[in-house]
Amino acid sequence: MSMIRRLLALDGVNVVCHFRDDGYLIEGYGLMSRNDMGRLAQFARDYRRMIQGNADQLAMFTNMRGWTPPRGWVVRGVTQSVCGVANLVCVVDSDGAPLNEILLELREVSHW
Amino acid sequence: MTKLDELMKLPGAMAAFEFRGSGELLEQRIAYPDRIDESILDLLAHMCAANMSIATMQARGWEKVTTMKGFYPVQEFTLIGFDWSVVVSGLHREQYKQAGKFSLPPFMGVVMANDKADYEAAFAILEKQEPVQ
Repeated sequence: MSMIRRLLALDGVNVVCHFRDDGYLIEGYGLMSRNDMGRLAQFARDYRRMIQGNADQLAMFTNMRGWTPPRGWVVRGVTQSVCGVANLVCVVDSDGAPLNEILLELREVSHW
Repeated sequence: MTKLDELMKLPGAMAAFEFRGSGELLEQRIAYPDRIDESILDLLAHMCAANMSIATMQARGWEKVTTMKGFYPVQEFTLIGFDWSVVVSGLHREQYKQAGKFSLPPFMGVVMANDKADYEAAFAILEKQEPVQ
C-alpha cells in the first residue's frame, strides 16, 4: 500500500495528494476527481512557495529565528480545511478531524 | 477573561494579538518579550492579513472551478514555521458580516512553540461563539 494512502485512514481526511517540486501530481487518493487532484497539487505547490517567501521575509525583516524554513500551513474553511506539509497536501473536515494528529502524520510521511 | 488571555493559556503560547484587516496591530499579550516583541507582532499581523486575503481569493476560485463547497469563507490561517506557529482567525468578523454589520471586529491570533502547539485547542478558543453587538 502507498505510504501516503494510510493518511486516509485518519478520521476526517478526505483527500491526500503527493506532488513533485514542479507541482505535478505523483499520486492522490480520496474523494476527488483526478483532474481536481492535479489542480490541488498545483495549488499546494504554489501556496508552499508563497509561504516560504513570507517566512523568509518575516525572518529577514525581524531578525527573529525559528520561522524558516516553514514546516507547513493550514487554511481552514467552514466545513473543509486544506493542510500542506512538504510535498503533501490533504483536504480534511474542519469539524471533528484530529488536526494535531494529521499534521504529525503528514510530517512523518513526508520524510519517507 | 478576554480571548487574548485565554489564548495565552495554550501550551507553548508565546504571544496573542489582535489586528485590523489591513494588518495594523491593535492589542497584544506577550509571554517572552526577549523573543518576540510588538514590532515583530506588527509585521506578523501584516503577513497574516495578507495571507487571509490570498487564502480567501483561493477559496473562492477553488469553489468556482471545482464546484466543491465548504472552503469559503476562510475562518483561520495557520503558518507552521520551523520552531513557531501562528494561527489567526477571522471567524468573528464573518459573523458580523453575515449579520449585515459594516464595522467589523479585529482578527485574532496566537503564536505558539511548535513542540507544544495544540492547534485544535487554538481553533476551539478562536471559534468560541460571541454575541454580535
